[in-house]
Amino acid sequence: MTIAAETDPSPAFHTIRLSKVYGDGPTAVHALRDVDLDVAQGELIVLLGPSGSGKSTLLNILGGLDRASSGEVWFHQTALNAMRERALTDFRRRHIGFIFQFYNLIPSLTARENVDLVREIAEDPLSAEEALDLVGLAERMDHFPAQLSGGEQQRVAVARAIAKRPAVLLCDEPTGALDLKTGVRVLEALVEINKRYRSTTLIVTHNADVARLGERVIHFSDGRIRTIETNAVRAPPSELKW
Amino acid sequence: MVKLIARPLDRKLLRDVWRMRIHAAAVALVLGCGLSVYIMSVGMRASLERTRADYYADYRMMHLAASLVRAPDRVAADLERIPEVAAIETRISGYALLDVPQIVEPASARLISLPLGGRPRINDLAMVRGRWPDPAKADEAIVSEAFATALDIRIGANLAATIHGRRHVLTIVGIANSPEFVFVSAPGELFPQPERFGVVWMGRTALARAFDMSGAFNDAIFRLSPGADDQRVRSAIDEVLRAFGSSGAYGRDRMMSDRFLSEEIKQLTTMAIFLPAFFLVIAAFLVNIALGRVIATERSNIGLLKAFGYSDLAVAWHYAKSALMFGLIGASLGSIAGVVLGRAIADIYRDYYHFPTLAFSAGLLTFAGAWAAAIVAVSIGAIFSVWRAVRLAPAEALAPPRPAVYSRSSGMLARFAARLDAKSRIILRRIQRFPRRAATTIIGIALAIALLVVAGAFPAVMTQLLSVHFSVANRQDVTLSFVAPREIGVMHAVAHLPGVISAEPFRADDVVLRHGRLEVREAVLGLPFNARLSRLIGSDGQAVEPPVAGIALARALAAKLHAGPGDEIEIEQVSGRRVQARIRVSAIVDPMVGSSAYMNIEDLGRLFREPGRISGAHLSLDPARYAAFNAQLKETPALAGASFLRQAERSMRRAFDEGVGVMNYLYIAFAAVMAGGVAFSAARVTMAEQERDLATLRVLGFTRGEASYVLVGELFVLALLAVPLGCVLGTVLGIWLMRLFQTDMYSFTFIFNPGGYAFAIAFTLACVAIASFIVRLGIDRLDMVGVLKARD
Repeated sequence: MTIAAETDPSPAFHTIRLSKVYGDGPTAVHALRDVDLDVAQGELIVLLGPSGSGKSTLLNILGGLDRASSGEVWFHQTALNAMRERALTDFRRRHIGFIFQFYNLIPSLTARENVDLVREIAEDPLSAEEALDLVGLAERMDHFPAQLSGGEQQRVAVARAIAKRPAVLLCDEPTGALDLKTGVRVLEALVEINKRYRSTTLIVTHNADVARLGERVIHFSDGRIRTIETNAVRAPPSELKW
Repeated sequence: MVKLIARPLDRKLLRDVWRMRIHAAAVALVLGCGLSVYIMSVGMRASLERTRADYYADYRMMHLAASLVRAPDRVAADLERIPEVAAIETRISGYALLDVPQIVEPASARLISLPLGGRPRINDLAMVRGRWPDPAKADEAIVSEAFATALDIRIGANLAATIHGRRHVLTIVGIANSPEFVFVSAPGELFPQPERFGVVWMGRTALARAFDMSGAFNDAIFRLSPGADDQRVRSAIDEVLRAFGSSGAYGRDRMMSDRFLSEEIKQLTTMAIFLPAFFLVIAAFLVNIALGRVIATERSNIGLLKAFGYSDLAVAWHYAKSALMFGLIGASLGSIAGVVLGRAIADIYRDYYHFPTLAFSAGLLTFAGAWAAAIVAVSIGAIFSVWRAVRLAPAEALAPPRPAVYSRSSGMLARFAARLDAKSRIILRRIQRFPRRAATTIIGIALAIALLVVAGAFPAVMTQLLSVHFSVANRQDVTLSFVAPREIGVMHAVAHLPGVISAEPFRADDVVLRHGRLEVREAVLGLPFNARLSRLIGSDGQAVEPPVAGIALARALAAKLHAGPGDEIEIEQVSGRRVQARIRVSAIVDPMVGSSAYMNIEDLGRLFREPGRISGAHLSLDPARYAAFNAQLKETPALAGASFLRQAERSMRRAFDEGVGVMNYLYIAFAAVMAGGVAFSAARVTMAEQERDLATLRVLGFTRGEASYVLVGELFVLALLAVPLGCVLGTVLGIWLMRLFQTDMYSFTFIFNPGGYAFAIAFTLACVAIASFIVRLGIDRLDMVGVLKARD
């Protein structure tokens, strides 16, 4: 399966009545209810909402980590909801870069080797040096995760996510475990990459100030999209506070 | 208050154990295997000892015996006067050839007289069926139960016997067992051939007439007063009987039946120690692996419990309890399996050891010992992990654990690592970072390989023993033993028996060998040069010639005498002329069966001043004339016995198959449990520890197969590292164990059997493969998001 994501003018993501229900009967939890959404290629969107409002669930379904209970989800011309497990793995491998709150680096590999890990399975990746340089960690390439601060670890995670030049960057609370200063550096890296490679970027956060970063801000509550705002003027990460 | 809080904790404990059920099952099974062997062997040993003691006491088993040529009845009074002799009985004893129509070959019997006054005061008989012979009827006899059963001899049946050259027809009036013949084998045979050899008890008068022994006896048996000095009484007996051709009084240690029983008891003791110890060590390893993992994942719970005010001791006890539960489950399993095994082994023993009753029963102490061993093993396994929980400060425990600090390899390893892909590097660094845990897994798997190597060695050793003994050392078809030594000229007659292709003489003498203060009573065998039928075996398992001069000693005998080539030893004939001489040890030989001394036949004859006298002959036969040969043999009165090699081999093979064979299957099954248990535990722990990394790999777009490589790769690297260790360990254990199982009757030597090693390695790796495959399925069920969103 090849998806010509970068050159395709269609929306990067297109969802129709997307729903996700965990469990069944009276204990069923509706994590997503009839979500319709279009995300343009190269767009930077912030998903905002309290815990359990469905934003992470949407992110996981878009990234091929989870499946919808009903509705459709399209990545350009490809229906993700129709894909088998193997194809979803391949989809993640080719197009998606993930960044999580707790970095999830492999502790037994150095920063460079963590980046190399994805380079082994990517077509035309950035070099580990380039990727780490982009997040300002060129000097600490040969350090193991335990030898890096939280912010540095998250930037390695960003470098690892972007090394394969993914069409999409999905970030789940990327600054959730960081203080302001280091959080800002991580966000700067994300914005820079979005700009440079036109990677469609979705950032999940419950921090309202981070919303000023996005072109659009989608507010979630109770599994539904409540409102979608468009930022006329985007704030640079250095102006953010939390 | 404490109770209210303790109850939820106990519920947590049960849930913890349930969560660890695979580990619990592995520990319990491994413990169960080890303890079942312990209970079986200790219980069986105690049952045998108790049964023997009761049997000997109830039926007044002799303490000492002496065989002689002939002594008048009045000498009995002299023997009775010896201090510390509680009872004495004189008997007439001899051998008879039996003509049993059911079998082609001649059977033989040991004949023993019953006292004139009725039942024996010593070595009383346990009558199974029938009655005691009527003293007035010379033809009435009792036969031993195993012989009667093997040939289906019923009460009232007739038995044709050639006694002292005359044919008699006996009427069987009783079937019995005797404490003297718990284990019955023909002279010169190691294993019972119940259809070819039995014991016949007859009236004293009848037997005296048959052997021309009226008013005389040729066998004396004694019971001693409690606390008697055995050595002193023996000397006194010898003093009285020397003039009557006694070859010396001997104790139970030289009575074939009791000696076999003692060897069996000794081997049960070895088994009770070796195998269970092995399994207990593995169980401790498994507990260590499982509990170490639990405590690592329970860090924050430990912090919470301590923050709530639970003492270190309470926390330690909470986690120790789960290990104890594993131990108790294992001990229960082992107790049940031990009784089942014990009953099964008692069934086998009943075929070989003829007690009035033999039942397996393990005492309370045996079970207590097993349970205590289980508790000790799991406690040792738990102690390090529990100690870690105790040491954890609450604040530290509540904080997330610091990520493991890895470091780059240096030197050769670094260059090697640089050439690997990232996934292989993960495997390498984890092993490097957690060497103790890797070592635990390696040792566990190595022990499983070692046990399989040992289990695989036994059949190879047996096969080797049988093939050397029956194909290289002894190639005759039959060995004839004369009633008394004959001139070499008799070989002419022997060679003319129907169907004889070739014949070789031999001479055998009972002797005492002395070296310094050490003294051993053994047989010395004289063999001709260039023998083709019965030959000596050198250390390489090949035939060697008897020594040109001097005496060759079996390795076990040399060890007992602390004698080696070049040493001079003293040799004394115990019967006949009682010649004493000094002779030089010229070689050490390695017969696989028996531990005699050997000389060339001419030297031996000259040494004992009887040149040209022989004790018997080895023959090879024309198969076509087998029946004619046997028909002739049944009519040959001068023979004490005829040993048929193929039958001896069959009885030995049967004994090995039933004893060693059954145990061996058990060993293999147990080794499988051990290999599986270790592999499964190691795989589970690796999976649990790597869950996060594996989920990361999956999220990054690695396929299940690629992610599995990291998990399965680590286990296989450890398993491969365990292979050489396991092989070395197995070899060392095998050599040690063969020594332990060595007896006077066999010498086992460990054999490097490539097939056995290949099987051990392949089997263990297959267990690891199956375990990792099953655990690998967990990767399919990985909740990628859940794992990644959770804090470590």
